[in-house]
Amino acid sequence: MYEGLFLIDNTHANTEWDNVVKHIQDILQKNGAEILKTEKWGEKKLAYKVKGHKRGTYLLIHFNAKNSAIVTIRRDFQLSDYIIRFLIVKDDKIEDLSQIGAVAPVAEKDVDKIPEIPVVDLLEESNVSVKVAEEA
Amino acid sequence: MSKKKFNKTSKCRFCRMGVDEVDYKDSIHLPKLATSQGKLFSRKRSGNCAHHQHSVKVSIKRARFMALLPYVA
Repeated sequence: MYEGLFLIDNTHANTEWDNVVKHIQDILQKNGAEILKTEKWGEKKLAYKVKGHKRGTYLLIHFNAKNSAIVTIRRDFQLSDYIIRFLIVKDDKIEDLSQIGAVAPVAEKDVDKIPEIPVVDLLEESNVSVKVAEEA
Repeated sequence: MSKKKFNKTSKCRFCRMGVDEVDYKDSIHLPKLATSQGKLFSRKRSGNCAHHQHSVKVSIKRARFMALLPYVA
């Protein structure tokens, strides 16, 4: 499982977003990658100027691909005009698609511990009844 | 007195949250682990354990590359 974050030129993102997404997905699929999830982050102000751009649009794609295909995928993206910058990171810990949905920044620890059920001590009660029986 | 208070929260923040690896896309926690200049906080200052401090270091550097965080501000 790989995770690619793409920084896309705003002039292209605002006018032909669908084309850009298709262009990126085509490159991935051409190299035998299986796209699992595509997510748009929206326009953001960049922390510093990248190739003269002050703002950019982010696109996050999760995909499965062969190890050897990554080299050609990277080269194709570097040649692309739409993409200012990209980062492909391997992520082996995510196995299910549901986990990608839960990739949200704030990951609170699950607090679904089962509350302990108060155990009624039956023994004591039976003892009492026995005692009562003996007295009688 | 103050020492006791410190010990109460001795566990690293990511250990407390149950996070395994810190994500470079985490725009809530990562800026808090760097100074206003953009420098990384020390392990002592951030209170992170060795594992998570290493993870933070890697993810901040990734975030910087993607212009999510500044190299120098």
